[in-house]
Amino acid sequence: MRRATAAVVGIGEVPSGKFPDRSELEAAVLSAAAALRDAGLSPRDIDVVMPVGALASSQFNVDLVFSRICEELGMLRGATMNVQVMSGGASSSTMLAVAEALVTTGAARRVLVLHSDKVGSLPPQRGVDLFATTGVSEEWERPYGHNMNAVGAMTSRRYMYETATTEEELAAVCVSLRKWAMLNPHAMYRSELTMEEVLGSKMVATPLRSRECNMLADGAAAYVVASASDAEEITETPVYVRGHGSLVTHYSMSQDLDLAHLGFPEAAKVAYEESGLGPDDIHVAACYDAYPVYPLIAMDALGLCRGERAGAFVAAGHTSPGGVMPMTTNGGMLSQGHTGAGGGIAVLVEAFRQLMGKAGERQVQGAVNAVETASGGTWMDSHVTVLSKER
Amino acid sequence: MTTTRPVPTPSSWSEPFWAAAREERLTFQVCGSCGTATMYPKRLCPTCLSDALTWQDAAGTGEVYTWTEQVAGPPSGFEDRVPYVVAVVRLDEGVQLMSNIVGPDAANVQCGARVTVAFETVPGTDVVLPVFTLDEAPAGA
Repeated sequence: MRRATAAVVGIGEVPSGKFPDRSELEAAVLSAAAALRDAGLSPRDIDVVMPVGALASSQFNVDLVFSRICEELGMLRGATMNVQVMSGGASSSTMLAVAEALVTTGAARRVLVLHSDKVGSLPPQRGVDLFATTGVSEEWERPYGHNMNAVGAMTSRRYMYETATTEEELAAVCVSLRKWAMLNPHAMYRSELTMEEVLGSKMVATPLRSRECNMLADGAAAYVVASASDAEEITETPVYVRGHGSLVTHYSMSQDLDLAHLGFPEAAKVAYEESGLGPDDIHVAACYDAYPVYPLIAMDALGLCRGERAGAFVAAGHTSPGGVMPMTTNGGMLSQGHTGAGGGIAVLVEAFRQLMGKAGERQVQGAVNAVETASGGTWMDSHVTVLSKER
Repeated sequence: MTTTRPVPTPSSWSEPFWAAAREERLTFQVCGSCGTATMYPKRLCPTCLSDALTWQDAAGTGEVYTWTEQVAGPPSGFEDRVPYVVAVVRLDEGVQLMSNIVGPDAANVQCGARVTVAFETVPGTDVVLPVFTLDEAPAGA
């Protein structure tokens, strides 16, 4: 165990969904400004700007790489570095880890991490085809019709085979996430979702049905990272980064030797050890989804299911509002929406929000410690981050 | 609307794999220095970084590690193939690869099912893909 050296001091977000008239730049500027205001900081207080990669528009991504945000937000001749960090869906965790290292060594004072993308406004077939390239080998896998829904489906199949998890239990993850999204004004889907609707929706890639597949959305989110001592000066609600564990297990999913667990057992062990906290200390689980199997894999590895199988635990309602282990309380990518690399950032920002006590109707009372998980590409890597109100 | 199905673009070091497939042989690399068996083909041995990689024919048998039947929403180029089965196959030599399970009973596949390689030419091209067929219908399926 070590004492935390970095903390998050401000968060910002715009609603996720289909916003064809809202540009990526507008969403980026609004969410970044919200994060600065939340921290009580001005643009001149930021020295490092860290935009994650955007997928829908290569021109917008080029703008992000070449300091457009610094110019739009009044950081010229104040910011010392604009640097893109990109690990796909895992970027939530990797950007936090990089920002933590920068403020810990003094290489940066305050890091503005931001994301904006518009994958929800792409024509649906372009969305399918775009996500058939993100971690799907062009030479070895695309010729077989492999694609992102098949990634989720094949991971689900192996997980079900090894754990006896049922299709009903997978569907229950979607229902649990929707119950949280119904309380989230930033979520794309806010109407009630029943087990019958999930199980009655169109089969896409067995065993996954349409309500269990990647829901692409436009969205943006941002957060500000400072050193732990600086954070205490900036805000009364710093969220400390207590530990992080991670492991890369494949590029092509066919090369993963353990799809039912990925690298989450190893990542969880390191993150818990580093944080000095364990499963019994966790009040909120912010698990990366996109497909229902992935929070189950993470919950098993994190030991948060009181000795039960994760599928049975979720189906019993323990992860829903009022349950003993609130999970992915923004509604996850299956309900708030999958905004590209930012889907995981929204999940992470929700963890910060819960520990800052700013989650409104979704607020988990007495939440002190949270755990976040993330993964990129075809779940190429497994990240676990432990966060706390206590340093 | 039918779109063009994606086909592999071989690299200088993977071309022997595709040439062998055109001869209906499934191959993988073995490192002449440390003996590591490698799939997919690499420029250097991922264990010892030697470039003394040699080619070996696989027996063409293995088991299904995981699979899905794509019944809707395929990527462009696969509209006419739906439904089709995508699977990760673990060869008896220990290496894994993505492939399709083909044949009239393909959708009866299960994790652990035994499979044997077959070869399929992508229509309108000279590209030959290694695919797999089920050895026998699993009991009770």
